[in-house]
Amino acid sequence: MLGEGKGVVQNCAVIVQFLFGRLFGYLIFGVIAWGINRSILQAVGYREFIIGLAYVVLSIFLICYAFFRVRTSCVVQKLTGIIGRVKNTIPLFLPLFLGFFTGLSFCPPFLLALTSAADKGGLAQSILFFFMFFLGTSVFFIPAPFVGLLRSFSVMSTIGKMAAGLVGIYYLYSGIIMLVVGIKRI
Amino acid sequence: MNQDKIKPDAIIPQASLIKTLLFILPMMFLTFAILTKGKLPSDPKSLFAIVITYLFINAIFFMLLYTGKTDRFRAIFFITYAVLFVVSFITHLIEIRGSMAVSQANMLQGETPFCHIVIPMTLIPLAFTRTIIFPGTIIGSFASIASMFVLWIGVTLALGRGFCSWGCFFGGLDDGFSRILKRPVIKNINFNWTYLPYAVLIAVVLTAAISLSPTYCAWLCPYKTVTEFVEVTSFKILMQTIIFVSLFIGLVIVLPILTRRRIQCGLFCPFGAFQSFTNRINVFEVRIDKEKCVKCKRCIQVCPTFSLSEEVWEKGKTRISCTKCGKCIDSCPKKAIFFHLKGTPLSGNQRIYRILFLYPAFLFLATIAGGTIQDGIVKIIRLITTGSMFIH
Repeated sequence: MLGEGKGVVQNCAVIVQFLFGRLFGYLIFGVIAWGINRSILQAVGYREFIIGLAYVVLSIFLICYAFFRVRTSCVVQKLTGIIGRVKNTIPLFLPLFLGFFTGLSFCPPFLLALTSAADKGGLAQSILFFFMFFLGTSVFFIPAPFVGLLRSFSVMSTIGKMAAGLVGIYYLYSGIIMLVVGIKRI
Repeated sequence: MNQDKIKPDAIIPQASLIKTLLFILPMMFLTFAILTKGKLPSDPKSLFAIVITYLFINAIFFMLLYTGKTDRFRAIFFITYAVLFVVSFITHLIEIRGSMAVSQANMLQGETPFCHIVIPMTLIPLAFTRTIIFPGTIIGSFASIASMFVLWIGVTLALGRGFCSWGCFFGGLDDGFSRILKRPVIKNINFNWTYLPYAVLIAVVLTAAISLSPTYCAWLCPYKTVTEFVEVTSFKILMQTIIFVSLFIGLVIVLPILTRRRIQCGLFCPFGAFQSFTNRINVFEVRIDKEKCVKCKRCIQVCPTFSLSEEVWEKGKTRISCTKCGKCIDSCPKKAIFFHLKGTPLSGNQRIYRILFLYPAFLFLATIAGGTIQDGIVKIIRLITTGSMFIH
């Protein structure tokens, strides 16, 4: 869409819509994570064990994702029918829908974020968590000429993977500690 | 003498003695005012320390101008500052708290000194929650949050990432260790590692915003080893202590010695990464005259923060991570690298550009380091004369 040569202003509008779609999708997941906390995690007695185990497994995936080439499927690829219908009926809002669905990529960072948000107590904390996740994952969309360093996607990809590795190590440590506490309680 | 036979590290006067003295006169007045604050101390130890500091600062500035060597003399000042900062800071903490360790009570009372490295982590929480996620005081105390923010904004406007070579009180430590060996033991470092500080920045900014606590300070800051750290009262704090001490040994001591580069500053520090973006708005830059350059690659080999590569040479300027230390400029046998003022012609007078940069940069270093060096000297004199650095 950006390559259609509509000009900077139109391209900015596309990017803004796209990012709003992503943000909206993530905020919904913030609410869902809070719901999981309220309904399931607070009801079971071995909460630390479940969260700790999820942290350990997902952070290992995240570290693998940082150091190895892993392909994750994007929800948009599975929804070509819906996207086609949106394109035909309300083409103006296509970037919004694309942003919403590309945000729902069930990759290790997303699943780890969901687990971490579910571990937070309140609704505001869950939403804030996903808002930060949105900010972190939207760095890729900062226009290259604006910052200069972010001149190529490969550089951003390297930085993103390194950051994922660091966050993965942090969550692995947190997960092991929670797991130990959880096992002791069982 | 044939210019080609002159070694780049040889010291040859670049300006006449009278001209140099005229140029340092304003600096002499300014540093006198800064150090004395308009009044000479009555205590002989403090007076002696002021005189020594004053002479040291102005001798360095004289040599900078007289010899035309930037990094060689900047480094002496910068490393002295870092070492005496550690001496002054630790003794100060022990005098007022009795220990380098910060207790939970100290933190609750907001007695933790604020440092510039925390700044990037505080911005998002500040915007959303209007709170500073650091257990320090906003105003009025030693190293308060407000004073550090004001200092940072001023330096950022004046020097950009030059802060890392002309103001950071930690940078002199790995700069010092990186100069111990004559030749590097480890030479080939994968260029991708230069992106690590940006990854650390993203990771700590996001985790700090999510957890509303300064995660870099808690987990990663290696300089806590030589300043202050949280009292070990739990397994978590023990883990944090092991991590930051290991990082200090690895990133500030061992790797700088082996690589002759500032590894902590160039390959890890998130504040450095953050500050790199401010080089975009700063008026000073380091440029390469490709016509004069003979492609000896000395500058690429000596750059302590990996800010020069063959790729950026093509563009005729350094990467945004350049700390304007001047090491590449000193090492160039053809004077093909130089300080430059953005928006002016490259063919302009390089000496004038250099002086225009050196004045604010050196004045800032003298302002921030003067008091610390002076205090460090007083503590050392006290150690020599009484056997202890502390006031009992």
